[in-house]
Amino acid sequence: MQTTAAAKPIRSGKSLSGRALLLRRLLPYLFLIPVFVSMGLFKYYPMITALVKSLYEWNGANVNEFVGMANYRRLFTDSAFYSSLRNIVYFTAGYAAIQLTFPLLGAVLVYHVRKNRLRGFFQTAFLLPLVVPSIIIFLLWRWIYASNGVINTLLQGLGLEAWQHAWLGESATALGAVLFVNFPWVGSLSFLLFLAGMTAIPKELYEVGALEGMSPWKRFRLLELPFLKPQVRLVLLLAVIHQMQSFENVLVLTNGGPGFSTLTPALYLYKKGFEYNEFGYASAIGTVLFFVLLVFTLLMQKTSGNGRMPES
Amino acid sequence: MVTRRRTAVLHYAALLLLLSFTLLPYYMLLITSLKDRGQIVRDFWIPTVPFHLFHYAEAFRQVWPYVLHSVAITAGLIACVLINGLTAGYAFARFQFAGKRLLYALVLALLMVPGFLLLIPQFMLFKQLGLLNTLSAQFLGPMAGASSMAVLLVRTFFEGIPRSLTEAAEMEGAGDLRILGRIFLPLSLPIVATVAVMNALLGWNNYVWPLVVTSDESVKPVILALSSITGPMDDVQGIQLAGYVLASLPLVVLFLASTRAFVSGITSGAVKS
Repeated sequence: MQTTAAAKPIRSGKSLSGRALLLRRLLPYLFLIPVFVSMGLFKYYPMITALVKSLYEWNGANVNEFVGMANYRRLFTDSAFYSSLRNIVYFTAGYAAIQLTFPLLGAVLVYHVRKNRLRGFFQTAFLLPLVVPSIIIFLLWRWIYASNGVINTLLQGLGLEAWQHAWLGESATALGAVLFVNFPWVGSLSFLLFLAGMTAIPKELYEVGALEGMSPWKRFRLLELPFLKPQVRLVLLLAVIHQMQSFENVLVLTNGGPGFSTLTPALYLYKKGFEYNEFGYASAIGTVLFFVLLVFTLLMQKTSGNGRMPES
Repeated sequence: MVTRRRTAVLHYAALLLLLSFTLLPYYMLLITSLKDRGQIVRDFWIPTVPFHLFHYAEAFRQVWPYVLHSVAITAGLIACVLINGLTAGYAFARFQFAGKRLLYALVLALLMVPGFLLLIPQFMLFKQLGLLNTLSAQFLGPMAGASSMAVLLVRTFFEGIPRSLTEAAEMEGAGDLRILGRIFLPLSLPIVATVAVMNALLGWNNYVWPLVVTSDESVKPVILALSSITGPMDDVQGIQLAGYVLASLPLVVLFLASTRAFVSGITSGAVKS
């Protein structure tokens, strides 16, 4: 985080009375009241509650008993939790692989469209899925995967009835089906980030490349990919954060099933909390995930120098 | 020359292929929303007449109260985040004061706190405050977390505003609220738009939090109401899909109207979300 600490002299009032001087000193804090009241009340206070309550057996109502590390001990012997960890590794790896290929390909292809207006058209068209509410995309894909949905109808049309599946309902296909949602995944944040990265490549380098008769593949490998390294890192970081945090996809598509085959840690927390009222246990899950995510983020930032925001 | 031609053909073929796969689900959504059950079975892939436009009328009748809730929630979220962002951004950009770095770190630290960690304690807090089943709960919940990014963006932008622009106002003894409102705000419309778009997406699309804090039909957002759209057997599928289209429409229209603000809103929201 760059803190541009340009020292700004406090206005030199000529002769301020004591009260005015006090007000002047308090003024910055007055401006900070809204943000700190909301953050303190709605974020920091609940955060402390989460950490403390992970040491309690707590159902949000009549049970509220200190149990020390019992929730954590239970968590590390909980086979559902281990299933969810295994799944999240698959989800994250698959999602990262997806984000580093198709959106990158899309960005390169769109960037090299010569006519400005046509390029603008492609960019806008690819981004359309990004503004469709994600829940609607999931509901839509639930229909695409349905027994009489788009994919099964397509297979039937091709005479491949044997390949039909209850895509989200069979443990062999469910995890893959969840990952496949939004195919070909170009309408994504990663696409935008890659596209922004491409525009920063100096034009002269392209001219040199053209003079040397570089093929598009060579141009990509030798010129574009090295320039896009920061974006690749950022996309990887965001892929991990996104997969660890969001569970709306599995909540809507499979509810973690069948069995535990698509259960993720965040969804497990949600279910333990709101289906079983095991608030204390759910808080322990949250705390563990939080620290995993924190360590990972710090490691990523350390190894990558500045893997933070792109300039927007 | 021939190879260049060939790469160009390949280039556009690949683009069109990717684009058609990207848009295929939405094409299917649109054409199927206009069909009854018989038409869906007979001609799955192409639009067929008659278009059952009443699916849209029926879906609209069922979802419009929820659309109003979503508008209110989204507006509330944007307003809160802008107030937080502008005031705090102003303080961090314009003043030197004790504890500035620590306070700023506390604001930004929230970017690292994942939403799921706070789901349960936040729910309990809102329960204690008696805010379950209210519209305000639905924007007060995500509002504080969303403010971090807003403070960061606004502060950075404000620091770029030249000091000379405010000197005249200061000489005349204008207060800081006035300087913020009359000088900084009009200059900051791009960043205000970015923050507004970011939070419009957040407010409109939020699913888990409303699911947790609402059970009452009188406050549910449209996203939650979609799964309970009903209709006669032959048309229910079309009506449901029409409902999906209607619920997506506001953001899609806004996006087409101001692509630039959306693009920067989406990329700035990258760290969160």
